[in-house]
Amino acid sequence: MGAEFFLLVLLLLLAGIAVPLATSGQDRRISRTAAHVCTIAASAVLAAIALFVLVTGQEITWTAYQPFGFFSIAFVIDRLAAFFLLIIAAVSLCVAIYSGEYVEHLEGGSRRNLLCGCVNLFILSMVLVVASANTLSFLFFWELMAASSFFLVMYEYTLPETRKAGIFYFVMTQLSTLFVLLGVILLYAGTGSFAFSLIRSPVSPLIPVAFLCLFLGFSIKAGIIPFHKWLPYAHPASPSPISALMSGVMLKIAVYGLVRFLLDVFTPELWWGLLILAAGTASAVLGIIYALKEHDVKAMLAYSSIENIGIIFIGIGLSVVLTAVNLPVLAQISLLGALFHALNHALFKSLLFLTSGSVVHATHTRDIEHMGGLSHVMPYTSALFFVGAVAIAALPPLNGFASEILIFISFFSSVSAVDPLLKVVMFIALSLFALTSALSAACFVKAFGSIFLAMPRSEESAKAREVPFLMLLGPAILAGACIILGLFALQLFTLAGFAVPEPDMLLIGVLLLVMAGFTYVVLHFTASREVRVSETWGCGTLSQQPSTEYTGHGFSEPIDIIFSSIYCTRLKNERMFFDEKNCHFREGVAEIRLLKVFEEYLYLPVSRASLRVATAVSRFQNGCLDTYLLYVFFAVIAVIVYLGWFA
Amino acid sequence: MNGFLLYLVLNTLVVLAIAPLFVSLIKKVKARTQGRSGPSVFQTYYNLAKLLKKEVIYSPNSSRIMRVAPIVNMAALLVAALFVPLVFVPEPLGGIGNIILFLYLLALAKFFMALAGLDAGSSFGGMGSSREMSISAIIEPTTIIVFAALVFVFKSLNIFDMFATSAAAGTLATPVLILLGISLFIILIVETSRLPVDNPETHLELTMIHEGMILEQSGRNLALMELSAAVKLTLLMAILINLIVPFGLMTTFTLAGLLIAALLFVVKGSILAGIIGLFESSTAKMRFFRLPSLFAMAFFFSTLIIIIEVFA
Repeated sequence: MGAEFFLLVLLLLLAGIAVPLATSGQDRRISRTAAHVCTIAASAVLAAIALFVLVTGQEITWTAYQPFGFFSIAFVIDRLAAFFLLIIAAVSLCVAIYSGEYVEHLEGGSRRNLLCGCVNLFILSMVLVVASANTLSFLFFWELMAASSFFLVMYEYTLPETRKAGIFYFVMTQLSTLFVLLGVILLYAGTGSFAFSLIRSPVSPLIPVAFLCLFLGFSIKAGIIPFHKWLPYAHPASPSPISALMSGVMLKIAVYGLVRFLLDVFTPELWWGLLILAAGTASAVLGIIYALKEHDVKAMLAYSSIENIGIIFIGIGLSVVLTAVNLPVLAQISLLGALFHALNHALFKSLLFLTSGSVVHATHTRDIEHMGGLSHVMPYTSALFFVGAVAIAALPPLNGFASEILIFISFFSSVSAVDPLLKVVMFIALSLFALTSALSAACFVKAFGSIFLAMPRSEESAKAREVPFLMLLGPAILAGACIILGLFALQLFTLAGFAVPEPDMLLIGVLLLVMAGFTYVVLHFTASREVRVSETWGCGTLSQQPSTEYTGHGFSEPIDIIFSSIYCTRLKNERMFFDEKNCHFREGVAEIRLLKVFEEYLYLPVSRASLRVATAVSRFQNGCLDTYLLYVFFAVIAVIVYLGWFA
Repeated sequence: MNGFLLYLVLNTLVVLAIAPLFVSLIKKVKARTQGRSGPSVFQTYYNLAKLLKKEVIYSPNSSRIMRVAPIVNMAALLVAALFVPLVFVPEPLGGIGNIILFLYLLALAKFFMALAGLDAGSSFGGMGSSREMSISAIIEPTTIIVFAALVFVFKSLNIFDMFATSAAAGTLATPVLILLGISLFIILIVETSRLPVDNPETHLELTMIHEGMILEQSGRNLALMELSAAVKLTLLMAILINLIVPFGLMTTFTLAGLLIAALLFVVKGSILAGIIGLFESSTAKMRFFRLPSLFAMAFFFSTLIIIIEVFA
């Protein structure tokens, strides 16, 4: 009976696409609202289906279209798929509520209808990717997801930076599809099947190659370093709800693909796990180090997404390693930690993107150096952002910590069980993981402090006003989910039937409240209750100026300097010199340049090389009929020679 | 459950009562080495009592963060205090004692303190927050490696079990533990903002980190900040003491045992406070950007211990 409800979800989403597109000629709010209502209804039904499958374990199967024996568009929702469908549903619901108001404030007239329709197409394609029962339909909907998200990034296509971001994103996402396609074809060559079924022996040598292709494809989509550059371009360029969907959900679809193939198709080897672990660790550490340097709030969140995807990959890689060395219990804990972190990251990252969208809407700038003091004028938005910041900094008792501690525990427990050489690798990964998590706390102290605390640093920031109700409701649901998932983590795992060594966060939460109450009561009875409001001491200046505040740049300066070799900052220091007659005989400039390492040493060389090859090849196609006849002549001779030789 | 409630009340009260004493003792030792007689060992208690009587001054720029941070900070430290049994080790309950959670409760307190530092919009507070968060980030790999080594040596993730194991062993620790003790000592120095990382005595903008961060605090809020810093010092000292020299630590509750354990803890803590004081007196403040190399040294030192332990 589940299949009917799934069909209902698809029909609702299709309606959500059709309505705004059909009325795209008229710039009317009602058709956009209808699209949002469709999304909300579809998300609610989808969440219900997903919860049903998660709790009962009953699979839902549905074959939609089967023209040939081996080719079919079919869907299976098992517990893994249901978990990711829940992520899609939860984020889409809140994003749709938020968009109901946000989209109306965008510029673009009736183009906004297209945006609403495209959002629903995007959500639909993600639902279908996750529900796909075989690799062929997986691939088909994967490409649909890539195409629809490209249109969403290009919404403000008149801006040159958006066009650049869009093209960059398009190339990267097509590369990803290319590698996934290659992986699927290799799998077919190795096994003769498009199904998600376990490969049995004899194992063909093509299988590791297929894994590498799929891993590459999913890494590009998930933004694993060094394939991450599209994220910090695409996120600032697209509207905030789109960033929330892309960062919160689409990256998780790549995680889903990796987990699905690792669990259901391959029998992973040790080095696969180490590869995933290494990629995850590099992304996590470098992602957060770059995030600290970033002062565009949405690019900062994009880098932080790279970090969190890295953490998820660390969990998956660790799980594969532990499975390979025969520690299934710890492997399961680690995998559960990774999946739980995927859900948590979806929630708090979309929360942060939506609230930062509100901030950008109110202040008309994305630069955190021009914000400040917003907690006075936007109290609700600042409270919601704060919940997200605490959650993403992995502080107890919120959900970010609840999932990271599982990965920590499996690291800690596994070091006493695996062989010595592996242990050293684990210790390195563990210490880098700890560094990541501490740096992310620093990053979000900086973000929250610069955006919301102290004095406004620009006129726009001083004039900002709180956003309308719907733009608070969407994030508020996400914030509530972050708190609940943190406090009830242990209980939820028990409900799902997994025994994990998660500490009881509810107890910790209660204890924190008890201790805070104790402190408050003791102070109430023993301390003076006098309060005075007086200006901050500014070393004797008459009144404090915003220009004397500590800036975001200043905040991250120590970390900039400590990790300067990673940033590859180039210091160039040239001067002008004059002789005694004041004739200047030499001059120069001073600059500090942030080298874009990956772009200058990886992306550009690759693109230049492909351009060279393309130029060389294009010389053969000169449009002259005689040349083409010559080619045909040579081809015929070659065929004759070949046949004569081998026949 | 009843036993745990007893533990909850007992441990919280003991830690709150003892914490200021150790802070004064360190100051006293430092004063003596400088040839001064120094304040009384009860001076920190007097200071706290004085601060409680004073009014609180808030900057007009500051938000709710400034108002809740002292209380959250204290609450997080008091919950963390439950994770470190000072004199009496009960059965662990629902993940209390988890060493990772302990570390992150300290991080929670630090997060709020750093935000409060930024809240008033003073450049001193921002400077303190920035430096504190940077230092805590780069010491984190060392801390986690040392804690992982503890987990490895004691075969448990729970501080309660570690203490119970070491209390059962009773004697002075093995060489490995003494080496780990040195790493724990470095972490203690860094986490409690002592020389050569930070100077708890000065209010000079070039040297201060922790003090800069709480510069805008006043009255009862400042009292909470000072007390929670003292509690943090006591907790880290207790981990070191109860792992390396655990004799006297109680695992089953008796009143006589409690008194002996408490007395022994105060004596051992005073000796450690003396050592910290002497250590601080014998080093000079390091330049801020020299610190990463110190931390790198601590990191390789602890990794080396683990590798020795692993391959031995």
